[in-house]
Amino acid sequence: MSKTVQADRSRVRLSGLVLAVALLIGSFAVYFLSNAAGASRTPVPESAIDDDLSLEGKRLKGFVFGAEGLIADVYWMQSLQYLGDKFVNAPPDQVISLDDLRPLNPRLLYPYLDNATDLDPGFMAAYSYGATVLPAIDPATAIKFTEKGIASNPENFRLYQYLGFIYWKLHRYDEAAAAYERGSEQPGAPPFMKAMAAFMASNAGSRETARAMYRQMSDSGDQQTRLNAEYRLNELDAEEQVEAINARLSDYQKKNGSCVRSLKDIVPALGAVKLAGGAQFQQTAAGEIVDPKLAPYVLDSAACSVHSTSFPKTGANK
Amino acid sequence: MRRSSNTNYLTQIFVIAKNAFREAVRDRILYNLVIFVLLLTGAAIFLGELTAGQEVRTIINLGLNAILLFGAFIAIFVGVGLVSKEIEKRTVYAIFAKPVTRSQFLVGKYLGLSLTLLVNTAVMGIGVTLALLYVGGGDRLASVWVAVFFVFLELCVLTAVAITFSSFSTPALSALFTFFIFVIGHFSSSLREFAAALGSAGAKAVFGTIYYIMPNLSLYGFRTQAAYGLLPDAAAVAAITGYTIVYIAILLSIANFIFSRRNFK
Repeated sequence: MSKTVQADRSRVRLSGLVLAVALLIGSFAVYFLSNAAGASRTPVPESAIDDDLSLEGKRLKGFVFGAEGLIADVYWMQSLQYLGDKFVNAPPDQVISLDDLRPLNPRLLYPYLDNATDLDPGFMAAYSYGATVLPAIDPATAIKFTEKGIASNPENFRLYQYLGFIYWKLHRYDEAAAAYERGSEQPGAPPFMKAMAAFMASNAGSRETARAMYRQMSDSGDQQTRLNAEYRLNELDAEEQVEAINARLSDYQKKNGSCVRSLKDIVPALGAVKLAGGAQFQQTAAGEIVDPKLAPYVLDSAACSVHSTSFPKTGANK
Repeated sequence: MRRSSNTNYLTQIFVIAKNAFREAVRDRILYNLVIFVLLLTGAAIFLGELTAGQEVRTIINLGLNAILLFGAFIAIFVGVGLVSKEIEKRTVYAIFAKPVTRSQFLVGKYLGLSLTLLVNTAVMGIGVTLALLYVGGGDRLASVWVAVFFVFLELCVLTAVAITFSSFSTPALSALFTFFIFVIGHFSSSLREFAAALGSAGAKAVFGTIYYIMPNLSLYGFRTQAAYGLLPDAAAVAAITGYTIVYIAILLSIANFIFSRRNFK
């Protein structure tokens, strides 16, 4: 009796052990086979990667059991991931400018945002993101998209602000002024809308106007827009600093007949420079002059000028 | 004397409802809450990164739609089995051998499942609330709970539809029919627009009639509005609640009419 029970128990134990070993081996096999299969997959042709969206938001509306908001969120997340993937997968040597994203060919960004706002016409984050990013891909689409937002939310002053911003980026200052003016007439519009309309008419191309523009964009409450605006504000600061440093380098060269060996040579001269808002140049503990992202400015002795590694396009475009 | 018989009538319904609820709990139906909690916990933690700061609205949309989806599954698949299971297992004979009428049985079963759905929906609502508090969306809780209430009303209608079908059809067909009603019910406002756009008076009348016969489930769609923190008028809430009660009463009356004439032999 006890022998039979013991034999049964040891058989159960053995089968359990065999199962555990089999599961362990199976798990390893699944892991390696999955990786091997993934690595040996036939690559999709470049032209097929951005497959057109098979569903349009306006056609989906009313057919998703009241889950329009959720589907809009999915399109919103896809739009973020889509552009993020484009950045991540860009060739390492490709210089990406936030002013011109066409080399990344993000042609599905607008359809994603369009779908999101078709399903949820009040989705302000999508309009804000579109107004910030779409001008760098296709300005006409950016205007169309923001006008669509205004048509759905005519009393939301933010959309007029975004429209004014897009026109300003395109140097179409009269239309920018008109957009700010229309926005200032909406209920709850803050005084800066009126002020921006006046700026557009008098001093639209100045750095100060750009600063005011991005400062307001960074206050819009949307995370993506805020990050973008903060980057732009830093870029404007870097641009101003580069101009000031280059001017001092030029003075030094004229005076001494050669360029400085190190930027430390002009630190005393830079101390007298008045930057926007009374700011001063920042230095590391080693005395290196750094840009707003705390990366040291790089001196090009041959050209006797500096550039910022954090803001490669500094000075080229606002 | 009459009051005592009324009390007795209601007590029997209550006992059947309580048993139906217990049965649902025993069948581990509320286990879906675990999946829901995991879903929302994951969402609360990871959505901040994925949605670029739009996690509040996404948690509301995700949570409320998940409540509807999970609830609809329970309402349909448990609802169609409420009556048929008792018939299959022949326990219905034991029940009707006692002084319980078929209408009491039907209403009791309906209320039992509604109670299960109420508990399920409420716990999920609490889950959404906690996730919202975690991501700083506490200002939209009132809207969320209005939407949760509307979802519950919708599930009550769906349960009544399921019970009505199961009073005369097989469980598989009843589930299919109820699912169709769920789909059509969400398109009912489109049906009315379609009817208005049609030229012929006959077609208008047909689609207009279908619109009023089918449950108008689009009435309960307050989930997108909740993501914006909007609140409906008290009159709208009262009208939707009234519509739900009347519609359920009609469905249960039909179900009772059919069920009371059904031969179990």
